Amino acid sequence: MLEFFLEPLREPFFQRALLAVFLSGLTCACLGAYVVLRRMAFLSTALTHSILPGVVGAILLGLSPYVGALAAALLTAGGIAWLSARRGTSEDSAIGVMLSVMFAAGIALMSAAQAWRDFTGLLFGSVVSVGATDLLIIGLTSAGILFTLRVLHKELELASFDEEYAELIGARPAWLRAVLLILVALGAVACVRLVGALLTTALFVIPSATGVLLGRTLPQVMGWGIACALFGGISGLYLSYHFAGVPSGAGIVLCCALPYLLARLRAPRR
Amino acid sequence: MNPQPWWSQLGDACFGLIPRVPYARPDRSDCQGIAVVAQGLSAAARTDGPTAFTDAAFSIPCGCRTALIGPNGSGKSTLLRVLAGLLPATSGTVQVLGAKPQLGRGRVAYLAQRPRLTDPFPLTLRRLVQMGTYAHHGWFEECHHGDEAVDRALHLLQLTDLADRTVHTLSGGQLQRALLARATVQGAELLLLDEPYAALDQASRDIVEGFLFAPNANLTIVMATHDPADSQRFDRILELRHGALRTVHACAGHPHRHA
Repeated sequence: MLEFFLEPLREPFFQRALLAVFLSGLTCACLGAYVVLRRMAFLSTALTHSILPGVVGAILLGLSPYVGALAAALLTAGGIAWLSARRGTSEDSAIGVMLSVMFAAGIALMSAAQAWRDFTGLLFGSVVSVGATDLLIIGLTSAGILFTLRVLHKELELASFDEEYAELIGARPAWLRAVLLILVALGAVACVRLVGALLTTALFVIPSATGVLLGRTLPQVMGWGIACALFGGISGLYLSYHFAGVPSGAGIVLCCALPYLLARLRAPRR
Repeated sequence: MNPQPWWSQLGDACFGLIPRVPYARPDRSDCQGIAVVAQGLSAAARTDGPTAFTDAAFSIPCGCRTALIGPNGSGKSTLLRVLAGLLPATSGTVQVLGAKPQLGRGRVAYLAQRPRLTDPFPLTLRRLVQMGTYAHHGWFEECHHGDEAVDRALHLLQLTDLADRTVHTLSGGQLQRALLARATVQGAELLLLDEPYAALDQASRDIVEGFLFAPNANLTIVMATHDPADSQRFDRILELRHGALRTVHACAGHPHRHA
């Protein structure tokens, strides 16, 4: 029984994956609290899915996949803001347009490159592929995101709760929204190795949705979210280690859903 | 005092790395006894919409409690939003506490008729009231202080027992009182209130009236209201009707009497 837990720990790739899960779980849970409370789940889906054409394009051009992913995510965020700036297109439909266009572009690029197999890790996540460079990038991104969230905590909390009051005292809620979008794009880029482009949204939404059910203050929501993300992340890694057919992304998301369901069952009715 | 846990210390250390930046330039304007003065003021509720009122001229002295009356759609909310700096005037001039209306002025507080709050949101009532202190802080700064002012405001609006409740468990009247408490903590001299009694039962209303009309409160109030019974309590009444504004009743004995 003990060997079930200890055996993977001796593998260097598993140690790296564990560290990556720890960092991205911490970051996504803190960031995800705002995503969930501000009802930006669909927006974060669009940002994370748009990573696909960015990474494929960057690999085809011989650039770092992280550069491509970040550029694509920022392009999507900008595109959504531009499309929804005129009346007649709601933000909801702007997100729908950008999400499907970017994802279609990704599929077209992948099939033009005729290399579907190489990209399964990108779509579904792969623990084995986490290398030292990935860890460095995930670490730096996480540190940057957590630092920004800390120093802007009171403004982000205020603008998420009462946008008009934030505007009245001069705390620029429009800027804060843009900052949050950039942070979500950065966070998505950092997580894509572990859970894949299709499932990165889950890391933003599921732990924080659990946190919102259990916490009474924003720090408590983040705390419960971190607990849920770490539990799901670590057990998901074991799941995909012991059952070779399960990709790490799917394992992590399924294991995150478990604490959410438990929290949901004991949550009071509205 | 308990030592703070390491993650909390690490979090606070972040603030040491970035200098504090105020939200807005410091407000050094001098109002010289006149809270609001407007000449030829016109405004529209939406930038591309029809004009709500035109050519309004009025003045409100400091310390004057002013009622803003008129039928639905007459532009009461629009006028208040212009004074708060949330809406630009389409023409004319207006001075609020000695300066053009703009955002980021801690001396002016505005309470919307239906505040658009995110619901549910994990926030205690105390934290909501504490947000009033933010106006005097800036970017990259955590506020650990202001507790005395928060306690005083909670006491004033009889919210002390509810301080640890989360905001989505409060009734509409309790929430309205909490938002007024936040304006108090902000230390605003001018309160712009858009039908603050709309969600209140009699008990809450008595508390709010007791606070707003306390004889020693050094407050200037502009309040949109529908209730004709209120008129007696106000020093001055501005009436908006058919796109025009007129002053019905000026502060008795005040030097800035308006014809």
